[in-house]
Amino acid sequence: MSVHGPIPILRIGSTLLVSIQLELRDAVADAFQADVLSAIEKRGTTGLVVDISGLDMVDTYVARILAETGRMAKLMGTSTVLVGMRPEVAATLVRMGYGMEGVRTALDLDAGLALLGHVIAQRK
Amino acid sequence: MDHRKYMTILKLDDAAIASRRAFFSISDDDLARLASLRPLAEKVTDAIVEGFYALLLGHPETRKFFSDEATIRRVKRTQREYFMGLFSGRCDLAYVEDRLRVGAMHERIGLAPTWYLGAYRQYLQLIRDHFDAEIKDPAQSREAFFSVQRIVFFDVALAIDTYIAANLEALGRHQAAIRELSTPVIRVHDRVLLLPLIGAVDSHRAQQIMESVLTHVVEAQARCIIIDIAGVPVVDTRVADHLLKTAAAVRLLGAEVVLTGITAQVARTMVQLGLDVSSMHTVSRLSDGIELALGMVGKSITNKGS
Repeated sequence: MSVHGPIPILRIGSTLLVSIQLELRDAVADAFQADVLSAIEKRGTTGLVVDISGLDMVDTYVARILAETGRMAKLMGTSTVLVGMRPEVAATLVRMGYGMEGVRTALDLDAGLALLGHVIAQRK
Repeated sequence: MDHRKYMTILKLDDAAIASRRAFFSISDDDLARLASLRPLAEKVTDAIVEGFYALLLGHPETRKFFSDEATIRRVKRTQREYFMGLFSGRCDLAYVEDRLRVGAMHERIGLAPTWYLGAYRQYLQLIRDHFDAEIKDPAQSREAFFSVQRIVFFDVALAIDTYIAANLEALGRHQAAIRELSTPVIRVHDRVLLLPLIGAVDSHRAQQIMESVLTHVVEAQARCIIIDIAGVPVVDTRVADHLLKTAAAVRLLGAEVVLTGITAQVARTMVQLGLDVSSMHTVSRLSDGIELALGMVGKSITNKGS
């Protein structure tokens, strides 16, 4: 577990699990991205699950950070799944024209881990 | 609806009443004059009420509101109270509340404003005639009549406002009912939902559709939601855009949309308008859509052994 930033990053085997429970202000969002990437760098990681079920608001900046982090992780050989987005968050993002193309999503952690397993198996 | 509810809807507080009073030119002198006319009013009240009901009972449209003698006796009594109320010398919250009670009652029995306004005309004429007969000085009679006219018009405005408020309230209730009926989400199978859309989709409804779809997907932990648009008469750029947005939002949740019920006409329109719906799975028939959706949750439809 990394203790640098305010958001704990858990490791299960070769998968990182991040559950965002507090509002992502700009500085926290930046710290989140840096922490996740350095955690990937430190040890071989194949998958990243980001749970955002605790967020009742996601602005375009946070959405961009989340999408970007996924793309950056991809460059480092890690597949990302975003799980637990709330309906009102999804509706707002789409209304703002921010569909987060290229980001894998799942309903909850369970479905997210299953999807990740599937994606990683396909990659091999 | 209770008349107190109208007080709230029409935002009738002391300030609003003062503003209305000013507009209808009801001065303190008018109220004092009306109060001083009370003895005269008591004297003519029976004659005026009789003359008033002669009109109401003489016309087929208004006659039907008075089914029997007992009703007529009762309404005449109410009418006397109403008439004397004009000469109370008050024009405050209590007075308005009393007037709204009358307006709410007329709205409840379904007396249309036409007859209401016509009846008021008769009322004013009767008052004028009786004042002219009773008050010797023509100038004084004229002043007295104008004071009555002011408060009567004040009453008429309250009555019309009550009608409008009641109709708006009914409209709101109907819209709520339609809203509930407009997005019925059905559970087809474990983690597969179906939303059959029927009728035109405007942007207001499209927003409801999106909210309803997203909430249901999360609640049911659905993997897939089938949206059947066979019952949507016109699929234009706007409707397609709404559907695409919904599909994008559903994807953000981690589920997928299957669009079914695409008729030849709709397919032709979509292509001619250059609409790209490739982000959704699209099939023509609902049955194919169900099969596709079941496939997503690892199920399939097979024949029972022959």
